[in-house]
Amino acid sequence: MVLKNMNDLRRLIDVGLRRKLVLAAAQDQHSLGAVIKAWKENIIEPIFVGDKDEIEKICESFNYDITGIRIIHEPNTEKSVETAVKLVSSEQADILMKGKIGSATLLRCVLNKEWGLRTGNLLSHFALFEVDTYPKVIAVTDVAMNIAPSLQDKIAIVNNSVSCLNRLGYKMPKVAVLGAVEMVNENMKATLDAALLSKMNQRDQIKNCLIDGPLAFDNAVSLESSMLKGIKSEVAGDTDLLLMPDIEVGNVLYKSLVFFAKAKVASIILGASVPIVLTSRSDSEQAKFDSILLAAAASK
Amino acid sequence: MIRTLQQMEEKVLRLKKRQHVAVAWAQDTNTIGALSKAVNKGLIEAALIGKPSDIRKICKEEGIDPAIFTLIESDNENQASAEAVRLAKSGEADIVMKGLVGTDKFLKAVLNKEKGLMKPNAVLSYVCAIEIPAYHKLLFVTDPAVIPFPDLDQKIAMAEYSIEMAQKFGIKKPKIALIGASEKMSSHFNNSVDYSVMCKMADRNQIMDCIMDGPLDLFLACDKKAVKIKGVETPIDGDADILLFPSLESSNPFYKGLMLFAKGELAGLIRGTEKPVIVMSRSESELSKYYCIALSCLMT
Repeated sequence: MVLKNMNDLRRLIDVGLRRKLVLAAAQDQHSLGAVIKAWKENIIEPIFVGDKDEIEKICESFNYDITGIRIIHEPNTEKSVETAVKLVSSEQADILMKGKIGSATLLRCVLNKEWGLRTGNLLSHFALFEVDTYPKVIAVTDVAMNIAPSLQDKIAIVNNSVSCLNRLGYKMPKVAVLGAVEMVNENMKATLDAALLSKMNQRDQIKNCLIDGPLAFDNAVSLESSMLKGIKSEVAGDTDLLLMPDIEVGNVLYKSLVFFAKAKVASIILGASVPIVLTSRSDSEQAKFDSILLAAAASK
Repeated sequence: MIRTLQQMEEKVLRLKKRQHVAVAWAQDTNTIGALSKAVNKGLIEAALIGKPSDIRKICKEEGIDPAIFTLIESDNENQASAEAVRLAKSGEADIVMKGLVGTDKFLKAVLNKEKGLMKPNAVLSYVCAIEIPAYHKLLFVTDPAVIPFPDLDQKIAMAEYSIEMAQKFGIKKPKIALIGASEKMSSHFNNSVDYSVMCKMADRNQIMDCIMDGPLDLFLACDKKAVKIKGVETPIDGDADILLFPSLESSNPFYKGLMLFAKGELAGLIRGTEKPVIVMSRSESELSKYYCIALSCLMT
């Protein structure tokens, strides 16, 4: 199964088994808006941790009806994150979301050795884009978290993303390892790593997906381009997941998709015991809502 | 497709074209024996460079008429090697062959920047075709003689030389197995890294006209049953034409093992030169030496 657009994520959500989302440091208007919308649409069951007075004040001034939502009062922001994380590690919540607090603080709590959400896997960022010019959604990783992933990191990033896509219904997602060119070039490390990842996939050392790379961006997403270049590949032109060589390429691609291609985007952090919604303040409420939708669909 | 060394000899005989061989420091019994056979069969004409008196003495002992050869007097092995290379360079000879001179001294003349025989910027390497009763066709092996620890560029050259040779045997798209101890890719093993890169280069037609896979162990390369048992998907499928080894220390004992224990015969050549260069070890049989001469005629 392939997701054609963000809305297709809704089909993956079991309304009878609504996922519990805990919003840490919940006194943040954009986050509250997105969470409440998702709650009203039966996507998740929210829990707010934070300054109760402020939360109620925001909800009142924006006319959010929060009757029936559990609120845990914790005015200290760091402590509110700790409480939220502990709710997840004690299995009282299924999704963690960042409210009015820095990403670094949230991630430090996620990685806490006693009560954090560590699994032994590398944490990585996973983004899903919907653009008019591609016939299905396209996942991109890692555009926000790992700066210059080593080969081992790339393996972990692919594994995180593939198991997420598997949960989203993709049996054998097609993974394009991005380079500047589709040829192997000893002077471009990304192309060498791409060759190694392809081989590991052939040997079943990376499972449940089909990897090809290096592929240049055009070959990865356009069958016409790849045919013009004479590339024989099951992935080229039909990519489900784009693996970025590093954060600089990834972040620029992500932002150009959003600003120039008017893409809809949803993103989550993978590698912890549950999906984490860690959108930035500059993300639109729609992006926050879609990220919640993605997290709910990707929940185990 | 040529499946035996005898078929290779027959093909060369059908060409009905005598090649001119210049032999450096020729007063060696085995060499003169192989040369006289090749002259008498009509494959070659031979110029023997060295000590004419010694050459005549050997001919007499072996019952060979020295008049079938052109004898060229030379004072020492360095001079004889330089003269053999000069003859090839000037077009008076088509093939150069090593006699009693040490391989390093002989190759020094071949490698000489101004007067030598190397193609510009070429890698000097060695490929041989081995016939053993236990395999259903010839096995091309590289490099059991010249490069101790080939790097990626040298491995690519080795692959290209062996593909070129296999094609002369009528194998249009030879199956080339890149040999390791296991089929898994591990970034700790440089060879498996190089192999993965080469496979992608073959995918992308940066290495042409072959079916390449590796790392593969010898069983997966040459034994269909093992491929089935292991369940590894490989286009080589136990039917390799070419075995590319990671080092001299693995390839050299392999080929010698075949000679010693598997009733092997071989025909081998130096590659990277403008004209075929024959270097044989003294321990090789007269038949193998003769086949080397026939192979050099095929490759001119």
